[in-house]
Amino acid sequence: MIRCMRSIKLAVLLLIAAGLTTSGQGLPAGYVGSEICKICHEDIYNAFGKSPHQSVETAAKRGWMGRACESCHGPAQMHTESPSAATIRNPAKLAAAAADKICLTCHLNQPTHVGRLESSHAKDQVSCTSCHKVHANGPNGLVLRKPAEINEQCASCHTNVWAQFQRPNHHKLPEGAMSCVDCHNPHGSIRPAMAQSFAANEPGCLNCHGDKRGPFTFEHGPVRFEGCAACHEPHGSANPRMLVRQEVRIVCLECHASLPTLNTTGTIGVVPPAFHDLRSPRFQNCTVCHQKIHGSYVDRNLLR
Amino acid sequence: MRRLFALVSIVLPLVAQTPEAPAQVAETPSPVPSAESWLAGSIDVGYRWRTDVGGSLDTYRSIVNLGSGPKLLGADFTLADPQHRAFDQIHVRAYSWGDEPYQTIHLDAKKSKLYDFNADYRDIAYFDFLPSYADPLLGRGIVLNEQSFDTRRHLGSFQLDLLPGNWFIPYFAYDRDSGNGTGATTFVSDSNEFPVPNTLRDQTSLYRGGVRFELRRFHVTLEQGGTTFKDDQSVFQNPGQSPGAANFGNVATPIFGQRSDLTNLLAAYGVRGTSIYSKGLFTAEATPWLDLYGQFLYSQPDTNVHYQQTDTGNLLLQSQLIFYSSQQYLVSAAAKLPHTSGSLGAEIRPFSRVRIVQSWLTDRLHNSGSAASTQTLTSAGVSQQTAALLASSLMTNYSQEEIDVFYDATSKLTLRGGYRYVWGDASNAFLPPAGLMSSDQAKLRRNVGIGGVTFRPTQQITIRTDAEVASSGGSYFRTSLYNYQKIHAQARYQPFVSLNLTADFTLLDNNNPVPGVNYDYRSQQESLSLFWSPMGGKFGDFQGSYTRSTLHSDIGYLIPQTLQAQTSLYRDDAHTATALFNLKLPQVQGIAPKLSAGGSFFISSGSRATSYYQPLVTLWLPISKKVSLFADWRYYGYGEVLYLYEGFRANLVTAGLRFTR
Repeated sequence: MIRCMRSIKLAVLLLIAAGLTTSGQGLPAGYVGSEICKICHEDIYNAFGKSPHQSVETAAKRGWMGRACESCHGPAQMHTESPSAATIRNPAKLAAAAADKICLTCHLNQPTHVGRLESSHAKDQVSCTSCHKVHANGPNGLVLRKPAEINEQCASCHTNVWAQFQRPNHHKLPEGAMSCVDCHNPHGSIRPAMAQSFAANEPGCLNCHGDKRGPFTFEHGPVRFEGCAACHEPHGSANPRMLVRQEVRIVCLECHASLPTLNTTGTIGVVPPAFHDLRSPRFQNCTVCHQKIHGSYVDRNLLR
Repeated sequence: MRRLFALVSIVLPLVAQTPEAPAQVAETPSPVPSAESWLAGSIDVGYRWRTDVGGSLDTYRSIVNLGSGPKLLGADFTLADPQHRAFDQIHVRAYSWGDEPYQTIHLDAKKSKLYDFNADYRDIAYFDFLPSYADPLLGRGIVLNEQSFDTRRHLGSFQLDLLPGNWFIPYFAYDRDSGNGTGATTFVSDSNEFPVPNTLRDQTSLYRGGVRFELRRFHVTLEQGGTTFKDDQSVFQNPGQSPGAANFGNVATPIFGQRSDLTNLLAAYGVRGTSIYSKGLFTAEATPWLDLYGQFLYSQPDTNVHYQQTDTGNLLLQSQLIFYSSQQYLVSAAAKLPHTSGSLGAEIRPFSRVRIVQSWLTDRLHNSGSAASTQTLTSAGVSQQTAALLASSLMTNYSQEEIDVFYDATSKLTLRGGYRYVWGDASNAFLPPAGLMSSDQAKLRRNVGIGGVTFRPTQQITIRTDAEVASSGGSYFRTSLYNYQKIHAQARYQPFVSLNLTADFTLLDNNNPVPGVNYDYRSQQESLSLFWSPMGGKFGDFQGSYTRSTLHSDIGYLIPQTLQAQTSLYRDDAHTATALFNLKLPQVQGIAPKLSAGGSFFISSGSRATSYYQPLVTLWLPISKKVSLFADWRYYGYGEVLYLYEGFRANLVTAGLRFTR
């Protein structure tokens, strides 16, 4: 029975293809139209109908009206005559650059791709289809939208980053309150680590941590020069407040190394030396006194 | 069958030859079934019970913070208007409502060729009170964390894209971020610090609007925005707050025979800020072999501050070695931070197998601040006033230039090589000079070689590696990247449709051999993950991962009080695993239960040896087509080797119903 149905489908395809070829009804040579694809790929066709890409099928301005399938898969006449994987282009099986080129035929000139060249995804040959569904992802877009699903997708490659979120002090991604794209732009960005930005070019961290924005009358250099990650592990840490070291004083002393006043290292912040007695608990956490460590509006020593 | 075949053979060519055939294709209605429900989705409601927290409740609240009570655990539904009147569809997602630490709701509404509207709101509890953190009184048995807070942050984001045409898209957006709550901080005087309560309240509003021109050969986005910012923070101690026991601060020993104390304090910050920003983006397909990209970003936030402080007690002015009984301190300050960024890039495809990507980026930030202060000290009825004027500046100019060449050696192998040059300078200065260092300067010069390979020998196997080797002639900070090697390798293998394996390796080795720095840093992670869904997931699936990470950091410094050389050592050797089994259990009386079990653990040794366990089990019982019963158990266990008193254990059980339509 199945063989018989296949024979019928094949015959139908051949006949339609032959008909279209001889009809001269407007399809460019080699193209057969999406209705023909539907005969064998009905599930995909129906799912495609619910996706935003359906506009390719229905809108005349895009130039692929009635043959959206072939806009990505290429002319399908040969495939209808000899249905096999070898006779049709499958973007999912192409090299990333070749697959992306197909997507960028329509999507290059959009704001999402401005940072593409700085994107490590593009450089590492991670193609658009690694994250985006082309045929369907329901009516709400071609990419996952729920935070938990987004995180799961990112974690499928970035396993070691996801492991950092299992540490006790972390941003609330495993809990589903945030997603990776809240902080990172997967298409690329002008900021390091493809980080999101706030108000044009300010760090994306300020989207939520607005109280750290300033500008402060007395800035703390690393916050501006190297960003939050100079002192914090943004994904997760065993240290309180996601610090990069186990205690506050260790974080501070690695830069404020109390070296002689002549800066021999060519780096910022090695002086002034603080003559605090670190054996006293009072001085073991610098932020007890230097509480405005992200920058102060009123005190150059960041005390208030 | 033969008849059918013959019929099709005759009829279809006729249909295909009909001249109107293309029009028929064009008029084909969307295959979306018209009988779809106007409402589709699910809602989860339930009740959570939390056992008494064993160990430190404060640490539990700082890390987990889930409580008991009725909860709206999740809602995810779509409203569709078949008549397409005001909207085509509205999609709503909401999670964790009901006095939860992170409550979120998201709404998308759209109407084809008219608008696209997104709204997002989050309400996040930000509680942090770790006894080991910033508490010098701990040794005296006083557990009052001096850097703790109990606040909530509210984040709202709204964007409306108008779709009047196919290539012209105006948009408007409003974002609001606010926080308020209480905490404990310190009031710092010359010789002592006094733990005091504080209140926190800040708000940032961002207004923006722009237009996108999306054409076939190029795109331009122009956006203009502005922010308003206010931060009203106060630190206080009321008179008589601790009758008979003044606030003696962290210094218990008398100074010159007197003990300092604080009897009354009110310090208030009034910070107001504004900003304007401009943003311009473009992409262009200049020729079939050349794509161009660029962006220009400019922002100029500024702040104006009024700070007033009055305090009384027995306090010391160390520079003049006098005790005073009251102080009034007033500061007016302002800061301005023009910030310009830009990038340009091109992707050139001179040959079919070669791509050259060239990019340039710059980021320039210049902050200038000034503060005028007046301090009035009263001692034994005599007042002494001091006025001061301070100016500050902080500046950085950062640039990088990079070229990458991609070569598709075969359809399965792509090679990449490149070079990046990074340069910049930074400075930090105060006027008038005070102390040992009033200005600081540093330069950044870095040469980076880049290489990478992507290999897909079969559809089942993908191997990606990339590496960077850098040599620097200067860096901003002692712990910055200097001479480093960075390697990332990933292999993915799918032996069967049902099984996916991924292995990942990351290494960063950074050294700064400059005398006085001698920084040696190495971090390494190896991960293995798998997803197994036998028989197409008919009986369930399994996903799991294991990561081993090590971090080793050595850097020298001088002990402040003795100026003896010391090495700061940081070690972290961690094992992390996550696993989740989803099992479809045999049907019992028509009910097909599903069981999920798994969780994660993190165990580390080294500088802050920690263990953290989060197992969970969830049972789903579909009791009808539209209603499911679920029960969920989770355990949180946290322990630290050095800070045993911070450990906690808690069990949480949640039961509820899912309604599906």
